Amino acid sequence: MAELYLGETKNSVFDTYKQDPKLFDEVIQADGKVKKHYQKIVKHFGKLAVEEYQKLDEFAKISFFNQGVTFAVYSDTLKGVERIFPFDLMPRIITALEWEHIELGVIQRNKAINMFLYDIYHEKRIMRDGVVPAQLVFSSNFYNREMIGVNPPGGIYTHICGTDLIRHKDGEYYVLEDNVRTPSGVSYVLSNRETMKKVFSNLFLSHNVQPIDDYPQQLLEMISSVAPDGIDDPTCVVMSPGMYNSAYYEHSFLAQSMGIQLVEGRDLFVDKNFVYMKTIRGPQRVDVIYRRVDDDFIDPLVYRPDSMLGVPGIMGAYKAGNVTIINAPGTGAADDKAVYIYVPEIIRYYLGEEPILKNVKTYRCELQEDFDFVMSNMHNLVVKPVDESGGYGILIGSKASKAEIDKFKKVVSGNRRKYIAQPIMSLSVHSTFIESEANFEQRHIDLRTFSLMGRHKQFVLKGGLSRVALKRGSLVVNSSQGGGSKDTWVIEE
Amino acid sequence: MMLSRIANSLFWMGRYLERADHAARYIRVHYYSTLDAPLASKHDFIVDSIIAMMGMEVKKDKSFNEEKFNNLITLDEGNPVSIRSSVAYARENARGARDSMSGELWGAINRYYHFTNGYSEKDLIKNGIYGFCERVNEHASVVSAALENTLMHNAGWAIVKMGIHIERASQVARIMNTKVKDIKKLEKLKSNRSSESYEAVTMLKSAEAFDMSKMYYRTVPNLEEALEFLILNKEFPKSIAYNLRHIHHNLGKISPQKFHDSGSVEFEIGKLHTYYHYLTWEEVKEKNITEFLDETIRSVYKLARSLESTYMSY
Repeated sequence: MAELYLGETKNSVFDTYKQDPKLFDEVIQADGKVKKHYQKIVKHFGKLAVEEYQKLDEFAKISFFNQGVTFAVYSDTLKGVERIFPFDLMPRIITALEWEHIELGVIQRNKAINMFLYDIYHEKRIMRDGVVPAQLVFSSNFYNREMIGVNPPGGIYTHICGTDLIRHKDGEYYVLEDNVRTPSGVSYVLSNRETMKKVFSNLFLSHNVQPIDDYPQQLLEMISSVAPDGIDDPTCVVMSPGMYNSAYYEHSFLAQSMGIQLVEGRDLFVDKNFVYMKTIRGPQRVDVIYRRVDDDFIDPLVYRPDSMLGVPGIMGAYKAGNVTIINAPGTGAADDKAVYIYVPEIIRYYLGEEPILKNVKTYRCELQEDFDFVMSNMHNLVVKPVDESGGYGILIGSKASKAEIDKFKKVVSGNRRKYIAQPIMSLSVHSTFIESEANFEQRHIDLRTFSLMGRHKQFVLKGGLSRVALKRGSLVVNSSQGGGSKDTWVIEE
Repeated sequence: MMLSRIANSLFWMGRYLERADHAARYIRVHYYSTLDAPLASKHDFIVDSIIAMMGMEVKKDKSFNEEKFNNLITLDEGNPVSIRSSVAYARENARGARDSMSGELWGAINRYYHFTNGYSEKDLIKNGIYGFCERVNEHASVVSAALENTLMHNAGWAIVKMGIHIERASQVARIMNTKVKDIKKLEKLKSNRSSESYEAVTMLKSAEAFDMSKMYYRTVPNLEEALEFLILNKEFPKSIAYNLRHIHHNLGKISPQKFHDSGSVEFEIGKLHTYYHYLTWEEVKEKNITEFLDETIRSVYKLARSLESTYMSY
């Protein structure tokens, strides 16, 4: 079969594809040749006229809409405006060989982070040995004093982890963030795949795509494995803040696909240090709670007293070992973006191994030397708050005006612990259909992986969520900021 | 195992689904019947009938017109009993219990919602109220099929069904009550006898009971027969007696005990259901029919409240 070059597909959605030589294109080599693992896909898409593609796109949208894979903007009236998350039909492909590297790297990271969490809530060896500054850990907003000395079942804190990776123009994968509180997005991975299978069944026949549909089963097995000691057949639930939460679709999707109850705080109560749910047959004991409610809100007796989402007394039941909370409270201390800087050291310290995945060079504004550097180079840096997610509160120096930078410098100076800075990484780009251009263009992407850790169990979902920044030139892929997503295929070549 | 909150959502999902279906059918049947009804000022009369059946309070001032009224009963979000509101409430409740139903049922309800929610006033004017209501009834049928055929007939299903039967019993009682009052109004207007039989047929059609009652009585039923059929018939799924029996039956699926203390909701429904089961038309005839129907509606609502406080509070 002749190998395909860009420009050889006539009258198709690739007609006006422009390659920027400064960027790393996932699909097409610098010389214009389509990469080996993308040959079949590009040939297939290259046969589609714009109108044909648009028809498929419309079909996919209706599929999402009818499944209710939407997020709603609520107003005073009943008529919430519902939208689907933008989805791009062209899949992102990762070869099995490359995936193995990612998977090993992610597992290694999670293991080390989990050991780190145990340590900072117990002996604190890593701080005493001077590898990670104690003051940094203790000053994290997410360091949870309630967790000191607590032993979660199986010693596991980070049951579910969403590691965000990017590929730089050097072709290497870098870890951007470790999301170890309540990472979201996995329902979109599974829904995207469902839709892709409906739209492009023939493409699946010609590619050896690794399946992902066992995720709910893997999740349920992991959840059951960390039940309190002595419980053979645990009652497990997913706990949601409720249907007006933006991720409610995911919460209900996960509960339904695992076949377990979706509860809210008001469905639960604590009696003599055990947790029960209110059912039509009276109280039933709950053993494991996969909660999608933040630490601050889970127990008004211990954390925010104004929380209506939590369960009074649940932390007492947890500390008594009568219920498992997933992820463990206090994991946020490890995904503080200033602690991130030390993850390579954390890996070396606990595992005695070299990190498989690279970290992005990061400056801690709290340190004088780093602070000075950030102040004089902000126009070339990304500055981020250490404790927020969703792409909120960040500044991309190259895209900001002088006035914006000056303003941000004041903000950073006012709270140096809260900010870190990184060089502006050139995220790799991927062919993405742009509706307004009616053609494919290069757009920046990242990759959120999803991994599970249970008793004697490590699992990484083969694929993950490839997020794409739909605005031309934008590096922000978060769905709350105009990002879309792609199905992600791990293929055996 | 069913959470009390989920039970509550499923119960109300059933009630709102049933409510929307009845409202649409009542509007449709009456809209259609205005076309050749034996009365001069028929439009006003129909409007009042729909207002009474849906339980609304409407000021008919100078600005009141047909277009506004049609919008009020179908698409108006400010009207809590409009069809769009009922469907939206049904879907909100379904969304809250999304994880305990099949994808098919959820999909059917979701499409139903998007249909009513996406329907514009322009569409309503263009297609007429009949067209809209017909589509609503079609969506309701699809939802009903998914409910029957894609769920386990266990506790969750029984709760939805109880919501449906409670709403249906009360809606059918409302239909009868409204029609009986309509007939009295027509008598005052010195309309002839033919309007009583005409309204009796409209009443049966509003409960999708015309064809079956005709077969049952082997003639077009008169008002008494129509009322008897809709109150007492044990085999017709819209009758009061039928629906009470099914509430009783479905409660048996979730009730943990076999024997029930007086004062329990099980006791209450047992008593109510057997009363209607062994009631004869001769006994009903001796009563004031509108008072009897009012009492029926009150008993059904009281039962619904007991069900909620026993099984669905959280």
